[in-house]
Amino acid sequence: MKILKQLLSALAALMIVLPALAAPSDFLVTTDWLEKNLNDPKLRLIEVSVNPGVFERGHIPGAWNVQWHTDLVDPVRRDIASQQNFEQLLRKAGVSNDSTVVLYGDTNNWFAAWGAWIFDVYRIKNVKLLDGGRKKWEAENRPMTPIVKADPPGNIKVGSADTSLRARLTDVLAVAEKKSPDALVDIRSADEYSGKVFAPAGVQELAVRAGHIPGAVNVPWGQAVAADGTFKSVEELKKIYGAVGIDGSKPIITYCRIGERSSHTWFALKKLLGYDVRNYDGSWTEYGNAVGVPVVNLAGTVWGGK
Amino acid sequence: MGRQISTPHSQLSGLRPWLPAALVVAGVSYWSHTLGQDAESGNLSLSLWLGLLFGAVLQRSRFCFYCISRDFIETRDARGLMGVLAALALGTLGYHLVFGVFLAEPIAPRLPPGAHIGPVSWVLAAGALAFGVGMALAGSCISAQFYRLGEGLLAAPIALLGTSLGFVLGFLCWNSLYLGTVQEAPIVWLPHYLGYGGSVALQLAVLSGLALMLWRWHRVAATPAAAPAAWWRVRWPTYVGGLLVAAIGVGAYLRIAPLGVTAELGSVARTLADKAQLLPTRMEGLDTLRGCATVVKDALWSNNGIFVVALVLGAFGAAASAGDFKWRIPTLPEAARSFGGGLLMGWGAMVALGCTVGTLLSGIMAASLSGWVFALFCGLGLLAGWWLRNAAPRS
Repeated sequence: MKILKQLLSALAALMIVLPALAAPSDFLVTTDWLEKNLNDPKLRLIEVSVNPGVFERGHIPGAWNVQWHTDLVDPVRRDIASQQNFEQLLRKAGVSNDSTVVLYGDTNNWFAAWGAWIFDVYRIKNVKLLDGGRKKWEAENRPMTPIVKADPPGNIKVGSADTSLRARLTDVLAVAEKKSPDALVDIRSADEYSGKVFAPAGVQELAVRAGHIPGAVNVPWGQAVAADGTFKSVEELKKIYGAVGIDGSKPIITYCRIGERSSHTWFALKKLLGYDVRNYDGSWTEYGNAVGVPVVNLAGTVWGGK
Repeated sequence: MGRQISTPHSQLSGLRPWLPAALVVAGVSYWSHTLGQDAESGNLSLSLWLGLLFGAVLQRSRFCFYCISRDFIETRDARGLMGVLAALALGTLGYHLVFGVFLAEPIAPRLPPGAHIGPVSWVLAAGALAFGVGMALAGSCISAQFYRLGEGLLAAPIALLGTSLGFVLGFLCWNSLYLGTVQEAPIVWLPHYLGYGGSVALQLAVLSGLALMLWRWHRVAATPAAAPAAWWRVRWPTYVGGLLVAAIGVGAYLRIAPLGVTAELGSVARTLADKAQLLPTRMEGLDTLRGCATVVKDALWSNNGIFVVALVLGAFGAAASAGDFKWRIPTLPEAARSFGGGLLMGWGAMVALGCTVGTLLSGIMAASLSGWVFALFCGLGLLAGWWLRNAAPRS
C-alpha cells in the first residue's frame, strides 16, 4: 500500500511537470503504472467490455471478466445488480476490503466507467479506471493473455446503495419543469440531442419520442477524451464543461440513451473535477417513453410506429 | 462436364510451376500490407492469410463434401470421408483446448464466445436436408463451389447466385420459423452435460465408431499406377487436407471466429434484399443466434468477406501451379442444376445458420449437437440428391 501511494504521488508529481499527459487524479491509473503493478497482491483488475468475446481472446494478465448485461444488472427487471448479487460477484472476483480495484474495458471504458459508478453506488473504496482502457493498452503493445487466473475468493462487504449518486425520473422531471435548480448534461450525439435520430447509427430505436430533456445541455461524451482515449486534463475538462455552464456551482445530472455512456461523463465530472454529480441510468429510453413529460424536439421528427 | 479449355495459365505452369502461386502470394502480401495500414481493420489481414491457406488446402486435397461422399457411394472409396473424420477429431481436440482457456468451467448457461453452438429443431434438420439435396444437384457444397471457382469452374458463380437467392427465400421464411420453433429450440452443448473431458471422450468415441464402420465398407479403388510427379502436382490425401483444415479451424477460432463461408454471401444477400425492401424490417432473433451470422452490411470488407475472396485466390494459385486450372463452361442443364442446387443450399444454410463448414465442421468441433444433427440430415439429403441426379436423364 505504501509503495502504491509513493508511486501514485510520484506519478502525480510527474503529471504536474507534464500536464498535457493526463489528468492527475486518485481515480485514474496509467497503462505504465498498471504494467509495473500487475503483480501487486492487493490489486484486483476487472475488465468490463461492451463486446462479448473480447476478454476471452486476450486481456490484461490477471484480469477478471465481468459481463455488464448479466453481472452488473438485474437481468429481469430494469435495475442495477442487487447488493447481495454484487457482493457475491466481487467476492468471486477476489475483491477484499483492502483491495485496490482497477477497472478497464473496450470502447473507451464506457462500461468500465459504468462499473465504476456501480462500485461507487455500493460505497466501495479504492476503485480506479485504467486511463485509455483496452484501446491504449493494445496500442502500446503491452502484454495480453487469454488465460484466466483464478484468485481465491475475497471477503469484501458491500454496503447498502448510496442513492445520492443515482438520479431517477422524478429528479430529472423536476429539472425539466424548473422545480429543481440542478443542471442536466446530455452526453449523446448532437443528432440524438436535436431529435434528428431516435438512436445512434446501428442501434435499435428503443424510445418512441426523439429529442432531449428540457434544460439539458449537450456535451457528447467524446469531448472528454483525447485522441489516445485518455481523459483530457482537468483544465481542459473545466473549460469544455464550463463553456456550457457546467461549472460545479450546482448539482449535475448526466444522462444518455441507456445510462452507460453517461457514466463516462459522470466519472469525468465527479471523480476528476470533484463536482456533485448523479447519473440518470434510466436515461432517454426511460424519459423518451414516459407519458406526459415535457420534451424538446428541435428537429421535429415524428415517430412512425416502426 | 462441359467444355474444357486449356488456358495460358496451365501452359505457364508447365514452364514455371511456381509462378502463379508466387504471383498470388505477392498480390495478397500487398493487399495485406494495405489492410495493415488501417488501424480499424483489426484482424482483416489475418483473415486474408487464413483464407488463402484454406483455399489452397481445399483445392490440393479435393476437400469437397459431395465429391468424397460420391466416391464412397459409387465406388466404396472411404478415404475422402475418413479425411473429414480426421478433421473433426483433431478439431475436437483443438477446440476443447481453446475452450478450457475461453471458459474455464463449462457451466450452463454460459457458452464459449463465438463458437457455432446453435439451436436444435426440425428447422435445422429441414435446412440440412435441403442443403444436402442442393449440394448433390449443384455438384458441390458452398465451400467447394468457392474453391472450384478458383479452378476455373464457371458453373460455380451460377450456383452461388442461386445460393444468394436461396438466402433471400430463407430470410422471407425466417420470422415465422423463429417465432414458431427456433425461439424455444434447445441449444445443446455437450460440455454442459459431460464436462470437457467427457465431451472429448464421447466425440472421439463416436468419430472412431464411424471410422471403423467406413473402414469395413471401404474397398480399395483400383487406381492405375500414376506416373511419378512432383509433389505440387499430385493431389494430397484427404486426411492431410482434413488435418490442415482442423488446424486452420482451431487457429481461426482462437484469433477471429470459427470457420464459415456463408456469412458474407448471406450478408450481401440480406443487404441487397433489405435495400430492395423485400424483407421484413426486423429479422426476429436472428442477430442473437450463433452460427454464420448475416448482417446488414455497413463496411466494404468484413473478416468473412476477405476470408472467402482469399479462399478463391488460394485455390486459384494452388490449381494454376499444379496444372489443375481449366476454364470449364457448363452446359445448359448443368447450369440449371447448379442454380437449383444453389437455391436449395442457400435456403438450407440460412435456416440452419451455416453450411458444411460453418455448422457441420465448426459445430461438431465445438461439441454442439446442432453440428451432428446437420451432418446426419445433410447426409440423408445428399443421398436423396444423388439418387435424383442419377434418376434424371444424363445431360
